[in-house]
Amino acid sequence: MSTSPLIHVVDDDESMRTSVLELLEAAGFEARGYASTGEFLLHPPPDRVGCLLLDVRLPGPSGLDLQAALRRQGVTLPIVFLTGHANVATSVLAMKGGAVDFLEKPVGREVLLEALGRALARDASARAAREEASEQSTRLAALTPREHEVFKRLLAGKRNKDIAAELGIGLRTVKAYRAQLMAKLGVDSPAELGRFAGKRPDAID
Amino acid sequence: MLGKSSGALSAVRAAIARRRGSHLVWVATFCFVFGAPVLAAQAKNVLVLYSNDRLVPGDIEVDRGLRDVLTKEPDRPVQIFSEFLDRPDFGGASYETTETTYLREKYAARQPDVIVAVADDALDFLLGNRAQLFPQAVVVYAAVSKSHLRSIPPLPADMVGVPREYDFAGTIGQALRWHPAARRLMVVTGASAHDREWEAELRREIPSVAGSVSVEYLAGLPTASVLQRLRGLGPDSVVFTPGYFLDGEGQLFSPRDAAALIAAASAAPVYGPFDTFLGTGVVGGRMPSFEEMGRQAGQIVARLLAGAPPTSLRLPETAPMALRVDWRQIRRWRIDEKAIPADAVVYFREPTLWDSYRNAAIAVAAIILLQAGLIVTLLLERRRRRTAEFAVQKQRTELAHASRLAIAGELTASIAHEINQPLGAILTSADAAELLLQSGVDRSDDLRRIVARIRRDDLRASDVIRQLRALFAKHEPQRKPFELNAAAADVAAMLRVEAQRRRVALDVRPMAAPADVIGDQIQIEQVLIILALNAMDALADVAEDRRAVVLSVAATEGGWRVVVRDHGNGIEPEHFPKLFDSFFTTKPNGMGLGLSIARSIVEAHGGRIWAERLAEGAAFHVDLPDAGRAGKATVGSV
Repeated sequence: MSTSPLIHVVDDDESMRTSVLELLEAAGFEARGYASTGEFLLHPPPDRVGCLLLDVRLPGPSGLDLQAALRRQGVTLPIVFLTGHANVATSVLAMKGGAVDFLEKPVGREVLLEALGRALARDASARAAREEASEQSTRLAALTPREHEVFKRLLAGKRNKDIAAELGIGLRTVKAYRAQLMAKLGVDSPAELGRFAGKRPDAID
Repeated sequence: MLGKSSGALSAVRAAIARRRGSHLVWVATFCFVFGAPVLAAQAKNVLVLYSNDRLVPGDIEVDRGLRDVLTKEPDRPVQIFSEFLDRPDFGGASYETTETTYLREKYAARQPDVIVAVADDALDFLLGNRAQLFPQAVVVYAAVSKSHLRSIPPLPADMVGVPREYDFAGTIGQALRWHPAARRLMVVTGASAHDREWEAELRREIPSVAGSVSVEYLAGLPTASVLQRLRGLGPDSVVFTPGYFLDGEGQLFSPRDAAALIAAASAAPVYGPFDTFLGTGVVGGRMPSFEEMGRQAGQIVARLLAGAPPTSLRLPETAPMALRVDWRQIRRWRIDEKAIPADAVVYFREPTLWDSYRNAAIAVAAIILLQAGLIVTLLLERRRRRTAEFAVQKQRTELAHASRLAIAGELTASIAHEINQPLGAILTSADAAELLLQSGVDRSDDLRRIVARIRRDDLRASDVIRQLRALFAKHEPQRKPFELNAAAADVAAMLRVEAQRRRVALDVRPMAAPADVIGDQIQIEQVLIILALNAMDALADVAEDRRAVVLSVAATEGGWRVVVRDHGNGIEPEHFPKLFDSFFTTKPNGMGLGLSIARSIVEAHGGRIWAERLAEGAAFHVDLPDAGRAGKATVGSV
């Protein structure tokens, strides 16, 4: 799995598409081109940092349609729209749909690369966040039901003595669970534990 | 030339004999006079007795003049009998006796009331034989020379007439006046006794008129040498001749024939004193006219027949003289027309068109004028109409153009897109190239490719602009062959982006075979664009899967049919009849010109356009004649 970003370019105008790909390659990016939304959908993006440079008006489903479809499918690839006929309604729709930017052709190199850079950064951070979240989930999943009970009560700010009373177990036992679960979750202090919980509100349930 | 004259031999002899002198031979012949001298109740008898042969020109002319007068006598029918003594071929005492007997017996039953004696010999004959002939008949003489009358005893009172006279001096004087540059006068006379008499008369009279002009007499010479001499004359000469009867070699002529030979040979103008010379090439002269003499005699006869006693007639001294000229000779010798006196008788004047066809000319001129007026009126009318037509045509052309501009307005977004697209690509390519250059690595292959693409995109942008300019520029309507499938393809190309923008599928279905039409391709494309855009408008509110416009080309009888079909909401029934009216529109921003202009364009191409309501949507049909049949199309009027 490559770690370098991959930029997907969807534009029906062959010339435009080629020149954008050329520019991106010259700028050091790896890029792929698609002539339509359908063609893009036929080639699912690999699991790498990337973004989508998307024309609005396309034969068949439009760029906005693709944006909505990807959202529905949970594909989080950040989208930079690049269109020849921008209008306010379309741009509002695009931005509401979570687009990184909405650019108008002809577009200058700096503007384009900057927008793509932001999109890639967003994807990278989203990926990082996602990875962290999934690690936490793994850790959470490693807790035993008893440890989880203790964990919930710790997060609720209860003292060890109260937890022992609630669960009808000994204080020492509670302390043992607590050490165990902190080790499993990879936190060293109660403060870290609180931060972990802050990132994963679902952990409380 | 001599042979020519032999035909007129008898006439010549007659003239010779007249002078040589058969003086009257009085033959005492007593004959019975048959029949009573009773004049016919109505018809009066006039016997005309000619001295010479019946074919002598002078005789013929006298006869013409005489008859001209006498046949016009309305109250008195006149019977004219002509007899010819045929002098000088016949003569002598016994001939006269025979002649007298013949006449007396011949006219016994038709006693002449008046006898006309033409020329000297006839008068002499009557003087000698009157008693044996018709003593009671009055005698009128004509064409008898004054000199002859002087040479015989005075005539009895019942013999009247006007003597004739020649005017040699007058003729010569006139000739010299017409040729003021003349220095020499050639006088040609003959060898007979009569010719000598004329010569003597001329020598007598000429000094009084010749003035400083030197006179040369060619008298009694052989005809050949006379003609030779005359051929060599210079422009300072004038020729006068009375003709002659006999030349120096004993050859006989009539004066007229001699004059004809002289006039034909002479390098100088020839004048003569006799009207019989006219037409021979002689210019003319002062002369009596035999016809005039005949006329004068006729008038005298008429008065006598009317009952006037011979003694009561007041007759002129001599027959009237007139200047007679041959117009052709006047022209030939360049004689000043103004120098011809008003009373001159001009012969052979070629009548001008005006003279000949005056009435016809006036009528024709009037008709031509009328026609010209009519034509001018029609031309003005035509011009006015053409101006009006031109104005209408111009207006239509401008409307068509306005409609194309309206289309341009509708297509603005897609046009912008079509131009923007290559512009964007160019900018991006340039950016890519710049990055490559900045990288410092040698990537000239990539750069070449990028530059090639920049050029291609640039051409693409200018192609779009050229196509649009063709459609939207003002242009004079053309009349050229073009192919309908190609026009449909053009329309599809122009509307591709617009259809995409409106999310309409534009489906163009051309024919496999070429569909040739004649006319203005841009205008026909305009029609198809109008119809296609209308169809797209009709689809604005329908579900996306129904948004399709089909533009198909097919053959029909004698031409081609383009159908633009949509599956939109169709045409409201109440709108249907007004579809093609100007300013009828159902669109909020429409001008209502599209279909009306489409119709005027199609009709100007000799075609037809109509709408059809479908179960779902509408179809517009455009029929255009095949190029081979488009003869009547008037594309120019759009």
